[in-house]
Amino acid sequence: MAKFAVLSRLQHDAHIRVVDIDSEFTMDEVAQACAAPAVGYQTSHPDPSKPLRIRLTTKDDSAAPFPRGMKVKETSMKHYECIDIFVE
Amino acid sequence: MTMLERSAWYDIARSTNWTPRFVSENELFPPEQSDPYGIPISEWETYDEPYKVSYREYVGVQREKDAGAYSVKAALLRSKYYEEVEQGYLSMLKFNYAASVPGEYAACFPEGRMARFSKAPSMRNLATFAILDELRHTQILLYFAHQLVTLDRQFDWAAEGLNSMNWVSMAGRHAMEDLLHSRDIVTTSVMLHLAFETGLTNVQMIGLSRDAANMGDYTFANLITSIQSDEARHAQIGTPLVEIMVRNGKKAEAQQAMDIGFWRIWRLFALVAGIPMDYWIPLEKRERSFKEYVDEFVVKQFERQLRDLGLEKPWYWEYFLGDVERHHHSQQGGIWSWRFTVWWNPDAAVGPAERAWLEKKYPGWNATYGKYWDVITDNAKHGRKEKTAAVGMPCVCNMCQITVANRGGKEWEARVFQSEHNGRRYNFCSPVCQWIFDLEPERYADFDTIVDRLYNGEIDPASPENLLKFMGIGVLSEGGRDARDFSWAGGERPLAAAAE
Repeated sequence: MAKFAVLSRLQHDAHIRVVDIDSEFTMDEVAQACAAPAVGYQTSHPDPSKPLRIRLTTKDDSAAPFPRGMKVKETSMKHYECIDIFVE
Repeated sequence: MTMLERSAWYDIARSTNWTPRFVSENELFPPEQSDPYGIPISEWETYDEPYKVSYREYVGVQREKDAGAYSVKAALLRSKYYEEVEQGYLSMLKFNYAASVPGEYAACFPEGRMARFSKAPSMRNLATFAILDELRHTQILLYFAHQLVTLDRQFDWAAEGLNSMNWVSMAGRHAMEDLLHSRDIVTTSVMLHLAFETGLTNVQMIGLSRDAANMGDYTFANLITSIQSDEARHAQIGTPLVEIMVRNGKKAEAQQAMDIGFWRIWRLFALVAGIPMDYWIPLEKRERSFKEYVDEFVVKQFERQLRDLGLEKPWYWEYFLGDVERHHHSQQGGIWSWRFTVWWNPDAAVGPAERAWLEKKYPGWNATYGKYWDVITDNAKHGRKEKTAAVGMPCVCNMCQITVANRGGKEWEARVFQSEHNGRRYNFCSPVCQWIFDLEPERYADFDTIVDRLYNGEIDPASPENLLKFMGIGVLSEGGRDARDFSWAGGERPLAAAAE
């Protein structure tokens, strides 16, 4: 179990946020941790009918989302990893 | 006593170079201070200043300026003006005083280095006057702000903020140390006199002066007009310097210095001037939008000045033009949401009339920034006090030290730009901040943002309370709150009922 910070880029949000996550988190738990300080504060859920997915941030927003149940420790994520939180 | 005309003695008095016999030229003028570009001293001796002034003339004019500014201040302080003026306007004053004092004070030092190390004797003369200019600005700003401390402790940041670890102070200090304190005087002159003072101070000094006069605050209007008259004069120190660089094959070096300096100061000025102009000055008192001022003083005037000097627009000019529409709006949202981290009370200023004005001046505002404020307004209207302030931390740029933010909504333009150096990840708000870092990573690599300091153990324990204390909040003064106690939000249950 290891904690570190990711840079959260939540769809429609104006801010990039620093969010602490745990290597044992699933992608759904990462999405929840990233949405918590943003949704309902300064932004809305991009589409409440759909689940939030996680992908690595890329220049053209083309990375495939991680499986929802995949754990952080199974990815290459490290401190200050920039990730997109979005709906498909 | 008969006095000679200045023109009769000036050329002799400014020819103060000599041939050193006891030390070498490089010992007298170390290249790392005086000129790393290797331009011959004979070229520097052709430096012909665009304005000429004697000490007697200088003191006479400056005395008149000071007398004018101080007399207006005395009159206004006898009234109840500052007790009755809008909180949002006071926030502009608190922010501007505390942002300007360190900048003016910082500028004394490079001018001092130029007075000593420039190979151009005329530049040494002008820089000596410029030291006096910057000292006067520091003193008058400090003195005026100090008069308001009894009204509100937050004004004390003008004096105390200089060395604080508040993120806003750190942003200003980082830029000043980079541009003004840690480079040779030729490069510094391009950054200070051309990029900073010629390029951008007009927007703050003239634009905000007009708004202040509309507010009836003739003290602040006179004060910054008085300062700007000095800045406009000594900004010209850079003109012959750049001409000499271009003539001696150093155009690319001058251009790079200009590009770095302009961007670094732009990131700060958009906050100091842009946010007050478009949000904190009451709608009926706004002379023009920030964008309109930038269009007049930067896009038209400065671009022409660069061309006249033989330089180009910065390589990121198109990105900059876009940033004029984005940066200060993004930061207004962030500063308001994280208002408890700053020393003023930011005005949201997004009621219906203000939003209509913003949409007119910045088409598309409602579809992007408006979405941000919709969520906040809904919370404010329905008494959800706990949700009107941000929780958690925003990402902070490793160059400008300002939060990484951009248009939200469907545009979704917030994006971090990352570089790796010696195994460490650095985060940037824009490709330009990243470009500056990548040019000289060793220059910047050891500096930590306020967020970095939470993770490297410097702020220990890394609790919200301790972070605020580290930043001087609750120590120098209380942190910010909404300037109008949410009266702008309207609704049946305005949050004013449950004021913070």
